[in-house]
Amino acid sequence: MLRVRFHGRGGQGVKVASRVLGTAAFSQGCYAQDFPLYGAERRGAPITSFTRISREPIMERGVISQADIVIVMDETLLHDPMAMPLSGLKKGGIVFINTSHSQEEAGAEYKITAWVITLDLTKIGIEMLGRNILSTLAGAVASRIAGLEEDSLRHAVEKEMSDIMTDRELIEKNIEASLYCYNAIPPVEIKTSGTREAGTVITMPFETAGVSSPAIYAIGNTPLRKTGNWRVFRPVWNYDACTKCMMCAARCPEGCILVNEEGFPYTDYENCKGCLICVEECPTKAVKGVLEVHA
Amino acid sequence: MPDPKNVEKMMLTGNAAAAWGVRLAEVDYIPAFPITPQTEIIEKLAKWIADEVMDGRFVNMDSEHSMITAAGAASATGVRTFTASSSQGFLYGFEMLYTVAGWRVPLVMVNVSRGLSSPITLEPDHNDVLAARDSGFLQIHCETCQEVLDSILMAYRLAEDKRVLLPVIVNLDGFYLSFTREPVEVPDVAMVRKFLPSYRPEHAFFKASQPMAQGVAALGGSLYSYFKYQMHLASQKALEVYKEVCGEFEKEFGRNYDTIESYMVDDAEYVLIMTNSFSTLGKVAVKKARENGIKAGLLRLRLFRPFPAADIKDAIHSKKAVAVLDQNISIGKGGILYSEIAGCLYNEKQRPLLLSFIAGLGGKNISQKEFEFIFDKMLEGDTEDVGMPRLLYTEAEWKEAAKLKEIAGRG
Repeated sequence: MLRVRFHGRGGQGVKVASRVLGTAAFSQGCYAQDFPLYGAERRGAPITSFTRISREPIMERGVISQADIVIVMDETLLHDPMAMPLSGLKKGGIVFINTSHSQEEAGAEYKITAWVITLDLTKIGIEMLGRNILSTLAGAVASRIAGLEEDSLRHAVEKEMSDIMTDRELIEKNIEASLYCYNAIPPVEIKTSGTREAGTVITMPFETAGVSSPAIYAIGNTPLRKTGNWRVFRPVWNYDACTKCMMCAARCPEGCILVNEEGFPYTDYENCKGCLICVEECPTKAVKGVLEVHA
Repeated sequence: MPDPKNVEKMMLTGNAAAAWGVRLAEVDYIPAFPITPQTEIIEKLAKWIADEVMDGRFVNMDSEHSMITAAGAASATGVRTFTASSSQGFLYGFEMLYTVAGWRVPLVMVNVSRGLSSPITLEPDHNDVLAARDSGFLQIHCETCQEVLDSILMAYRLAEDKRVLLPVIVNLDGFYLSFTREPVEVPDVAMVRKFLPSYRPEHAFFKASQPMAQGVAALGGSLYSYFKYQMHLASQKALEVYKEVCGEFEKEFGRNYDTIESYMVDDAEYVLIMTNSFSTLGKVAVKKARENGIKAGLLRLRLFRPFPAADIKDAIHSKKAVAVLDQNISIGKGGILYSEIAGCLYNEKQRPLLLSFIAGLGGKNISQKEFEFIFDKMLEGDTEDVGMPRLLYTEAEWKEAAKLKEIAGRG
């Protein structure tokens, strides 16, 4: 059985990517199972999804703790202690990273010893689809690495896109872009070996409600959670055009926009999520969205 | 066996499979209220009705309490009715579960299991659906997406049978089934009509020429006792009707769903008892135990109400040890299934050592190591604290919880 895990952020198409892979495998006669995991849904929050592919009926459920293939759709997650996309990758397993870096650079940057494959899906998405939606592109990359046929992928993208959109032109663009990604990745052969899962069962001790009730005593830990790495585009101000009207600051839903000593607005990039409402609202078009290059 | 021409195989989530079951049952009326992880069911049905690929009325209600009331009332007018909920929503409408069951109407509803507050969570355990165990609703618990679709069809047959006329809850696990896609065979509607003809109400319906008062009061204990005990007898009767429905379903669709599923139980000495989607994990553990020379098996409870006591007794009374994995907890007592199973074995001369485990609360994974721990306890014949519920919890999970407690300032 092949076990594939996708990591990305809400809104990038993580769930649909796992479905494209599942449907591609199913359409060529395999058993498949796909499954997204998210908490309270919101754009930008880390999302994981899973696809299992097998020649035999699948006798597993739930999260994949030991993956053969990990697809990282947002490379900022590699630094996220809660997401930990590489945890449980099997020996001999493959990591795909959506990045502008080469395989060697990405491997060195993120200290990955496993086999790394890279492709700049964000750039392809923006150029070929006109937006930062990676579902079919990541599904295509996973289909290639999983050794599925090109026709199965084409069918899967057609099927999954038709289920969620009616724009025929956009469906065609998705097919074209996904086939491009599929062919941009060289075929690979995967030979993995699992490690035995550990886990000693304990007897849970009693603790009083002072410890064991679900309340948080620690204060002020929200600022510790930096949300700046959710951005795909960063807002940048052109002070020559800015009239200091502060419309951007008034409309910022996160309260990230502050005023500098000269009275010009600027944002706190550690927490700005890149929603670009400031770009939309600026009456003099003084704020532009610039594509982020991470790492 | 079904003709493959009449069956389409699709990748469906448990929720989509539920919606397909409702569509194929040609349900007339669906009052709805959203809640994660159930919402996809009513979204799909709403879309099909709006797109006119499904004929029926869909109404958004103001709460689950109103929703279950509307569903029961509609069912009492004699139309085929469906509704769905989960967890907090299911409990919000709880009062009406007892009320609707007392009306003796064949409503079918889906509960997508999700752990109950507090603390609030999203992933599954069965305290929500088991809270309704005494209400009069029959309960069918599913392991796979295919079983969800099939059980809805079977549920209408069972509920509408005039020997039964009690509502049915079909239960599936949130996330593990509700959001998991797997291959599902979707039969065509002509095949379904043969198995499930349209509902012809005989005791509760709306007809201008025949006025009636339904849901009347019964003051004084004797009449009240009569009605309540008749519900119990009808539920017991449903065991027999269930077997017939099961046989006919197999004839038409080629899949067998007995009251219990016995997985490698026949020659087993050590048996796990589980319900719902986590049973799949238990089956893998059984296969691994067999590879290690342990004669293991798994009994899955599918029909929970009426309780198939005779089938359970037959399957396990001669085993060496049985471990009940309750994915629920009756606070202050322990596992709900454990008590029920112990109860049905008490008067047997020969009965197995019966161990109690609490597992998978809030969707906590059950690792193969934890299953090995259970088999070890069964093999040891551990009688220390026998019957006391033991929580399956690993050292790594304890350490992780400790870390989070520290961040929360509760260390």
